[in-house]
Amino acid sequence: MIRMFSKSMAGAMILAASMGGAAFAEPTKPECLAGAKPGGGFDLTCRLAANSLLATHEISKPMIVTYMDGGVGVVAYNHVISKRSHDPNLISAASSGSALLIAQGKFGKYDETAVRWLGALGADYGVLVVNASSPYKTLSDLVAAYKADPKSFAVGGGGAIGSQDWMKGSLLAKAAGQPPKEMRYVALEGGGAVLTALEGGHIKVGAGDAAEMVKHHAAGKVRILAVMSPERLPGELADVPTAKEQGFDIEWPIWRGFYVGKDVPDADYQWWVNAFEKLSKTPEFAREREERGLFEYTVLGADFEAQVKSDVSRYKTLASEFGL
Amino acid sequence: MNMEYLWQGFGVALTMQNLLIGLAGCFIGTLVGALPAIGPINGIALLLPIAYSMGLPPESTMILLAAIYCGAEYGGRISSILLNVPGDAGAVMTALDGYPMARQGRAGEALTLSGLASFAGGMIGATGLALFAPVLAGLAIGFGPAEYFVLMVFAFATLGSMVGSNPVKTLIGCVLGLMLATVGLDATSGAYRFTFDEPELSDGIEFVVLVIGLFSISEALLILEHQGRGVTVIRKLGRMMVRMSDVTKSTGTALRSACIGFVVGVLPGTGASVSSAIAYTTAKRISDTEGTFGKGDVRGLAAPEASNNATACGAFVPMLTLGVPGSGTTAVMLGALMLYNIQPGPMLLTERPEIVGGLVASLFVGNFLLLLLNLPLVNIFARILTVPNWLLVPGILVLSIIGVYSTHASVFSIFLMLGIGFVGWLLRKAGFDMAPIILGFVLGRVMEVNLRNALAISGGDPSILFESDISRILWGLAVLVAVFPLVLSWRARRRNVRMTAE
Amino acid sequence: MFETENIPHKTIGRIAAIVFIALAVAYGIGGSAIDYSFASDPLGPRVFPVALSVVLGVLGVLYLIRPGTSEGFPSGRLLLRVLAVPAVLVVCVALFEPAGFAISIFLLTLAVAMLFGAPLKWAVAGGIGHAILWWFVFDWLLEVYLPVGLIFG
Repeated sequence: MIRMFSKSMAGAMILAASMGGAAFAEPTKPECLAGAKPGGGFDLTCRLAANSLLATHEISKPMIVTYMDGGVGVVAYNHVISKRSHDPNLISAASSGSALLIAQGKFGKYDETAVRWLGALGADYGVLVVNASSPYKTLSDLVAAYKADPKSFAVGGGGAIGSQDWMKGSLLAKAAGQPPKEMRYVALEGGGAVLTALEGGHIKVGAGDAAEMVKHHAAGKVRILAVMSPERLPGELADVPTAKEQGFDIEWPIWRGFYVGKDVPDADYQWWVNAFEKLSKTPEFAREREERGLFEYTVLGADFEAQVKSDVSRYKTLASEFGL
Repeated sequence: MNMEYLWQGFGVALTMQNLLIGLAGCFIGTLVGALPAIGPINGIALLLPIAYSMGLPPESTMILLAAIYCGAEYGGRISSILLNVPGDAGAVMTALDGYPMARQGRAGEALTLSGLASFAGGMIGATGLALFAPVLAGLAIGFGPAEYFVLMVFAFATLGSMVGSNPVKTLIGCVLGLMLATVGLDATSGAYRFTFDEPELSDGIEFVVLVIGLFSISEALLILEHQGRGVTVIRKLGRMMVRMSDVTKSTGTALRSACIGFVVGVLPGTGASVSSAIAYTTAKRISDTEGTFGKGDVRGLAAPEASNNATACGAFVPMLTLGVPGSGTTAVMLGALMLYNIQPGPMLLTERPEIVGGLVASLFVGNFLLLLLNLPLVNIFARILTVPNWLLVPGILVLSIIGVYSTHASVFSIFLMLGIGFVGWLLRKAGFDMAPIILGFVLGRVMEVNLRNALAISGGDPSILFESDISRILWGLAVLVAVFPLVLSWRARRRNVRMTAE
Repeated sequence: MFETENIPHKTIGRIAAIVFIALAVAYGIGGSAIDYSFASDPLGPRVFPVALSVVLGVLGVLYLIRPGTSEGFPSGRLLLRVLAVPAVLVVCVALFEPAGFAISIFLLTLAVAMLFGAPLKWAVAGGIGHAILWWFVFDWLLEVYLPVGLIFG
């Protein structure tokens, strides 16, 4: 794994320097940069692209996945901007979490205009979960109970204040007409810890991602009260209503996509967009995406640029509304 | 009791790949233990990033690291006996009776006997771990933030009460570790603390960077400084066979010491150096009727060796069930799990039984491999002790650099490691121990996050910290371990007073 | 522990104590200035660091009163030799990415070996040996990423 990494990184750097990004056709050394440790969300995003691009023969050489851990992707973001903004071989993984950090000014000194956004290939959706033995059966029950006594509600999520899980909890508080600032939010270490805390009865509500919670929902350990998607999700979640159906205007998609350096030529940018476009229509891709617990969500090229910008401004509004 | 996980674990540990990995780990561990320049903590810290970048699955990495840990506890005795220089912290007491035996021309016997004691300690420790882990994991489901916080209080109380000659220095070390742990993103409020706008610090100081800096880099400087003070290697091992009478004489001591070692290992925060000291002094108090301890008594040799190996196993109990390290070395191994995005804690046993079971089973397997390596092949390790420092130390430095670079691919973290290492050298010169810093670093983060989460749940009401039975028992234990040594020293003083009065 | 002659070096202890007190003050000031919007817990991100700075301050004062013993620093040429090791490390790490693994590791192991008193001939041989051995072990055998730089490209 790391061997590929080694040759690629050095190779790509030399290439970027010497050719100035003059690859018009297929990238000679396709590489995906994951701004995290192996096994995390960015790794999953990179692997989705790497495996399915190769399986559908969009690329003829295997795509290398490199890792650059640090600050939820900030280190990788800075690296691409400052050192590899010309490199047409390199795509880097991002998620709506990156946009959220940018909106809060926590993504270093650069904003969303410092790179070119390539496209999203899939999404997960926010969910609210309770213990299986909880008296709340619907989102309305939960909102009503929260409204009645917000002080007795410990809401847990896998991240600090300002993280995606906190935002989801805040949307619940907002729906109940309560200030998110006063929410009893418990910041836990990831979705696994949220499940443990729910099962141990330490928190009453958990905020998380659908893909992570679905197994435990199906096993009857926890109950997902609502999915924060525009429509019902397929598979084991088909019986879980959306928040919208239950009368609450709460949506929280977590897209997973890619960006390239600011100075990558249009032709190369377009090559990637076209490749993703073709890729997204194949059954191989659909299988790879489902294996990674992601739902269909393809937004490419200029549409994606616009989407990221609108996301960032939406998050900015929410953040100031929630008192961040 | 459900021992299902253990049988599954043997299935993992006995695959060809994992057997080979375990054997390699045992060999490296014995080597790391035998060489005074590196101990188990930095041995593991150096190997961990490498194992990880090789793409080994998590259970294999854990098997490798556990084998190194146990191997080091075996290997430490070799240099204690032959050089009178402990190979690692757990083997300090081994030198007390081991070196005199070697001077009497009984080096081979000392090595064999201490190897057998290590084996007994390791097997008892592994059995204890296998039985105890599921019990504690069952209890641990009831651990919420409040309980974890009280557990940390207990851990610090244990650490504070077992400190050596200078408690102020130990406590300062702990606080420094706690302070280092606050660098980076605050897990609760999302604020950046002490990052100085450096993105590479936004996730905090990487554990590997801290450990390698504190242990390897500062050690290299110390070795250079002490180089002039030559030590003599005892090269004549003498006969390797032990006398039956010595074995029977030390069996009781070894078994008792293994139990002491296991219990001390389970206590969060205390490691082999503490347990071997307790085991040795206990053995001395009980058995030293003729004043032979310190002059080459086989029981004085067996006690610390049995206990430090049992401690290594015991230290896995809190690590695997609560996600809290039982010793400095298991703190590093926790870091290994985190590197794989595996959250250690009570769910680990049910969700990833192959990791817990594989590790526990590998300890049984590993002890047999170690016995094989350490009895007939002990000569090889004895010879390696003669590798000159000018060849060895640069090698350690290279490994340190590669170790840090391979997880981050960043030169910044290497510089950070060097800076930490230099400060570590200054601290060691001022008489500070490095282990409290590491433990403060690991335990501190858990302590702060859980205290704040507990108070977030209760809305600021501190009574949540005393609400559950588990918390109350832990508070009781914390008070007990804090007061116990005071009582002991008071009693000792009274006895002294009485003796002088008589 | 394997005791080196413990010279009572109270001055070192006192200096260290003053450094700790200064650190406590700086850390406390830094801690009380941490920037955050709000916290869901009553303590927030500042309380813990500030509490730590108080504890360190108190311990620093205790240490200042009873500095105990410490080993003492080497002097003269030995001190220079010891301090040369971090200097060599800094230079070689700075060369690590631009010059590559082989060159920086060769220089590092050569220099450190000489600081340890190895004759030049052996140190050179050792340096070459280290560079080749570790490259072989990590890049070839374990497939760990190392910067190639100017050699082994």
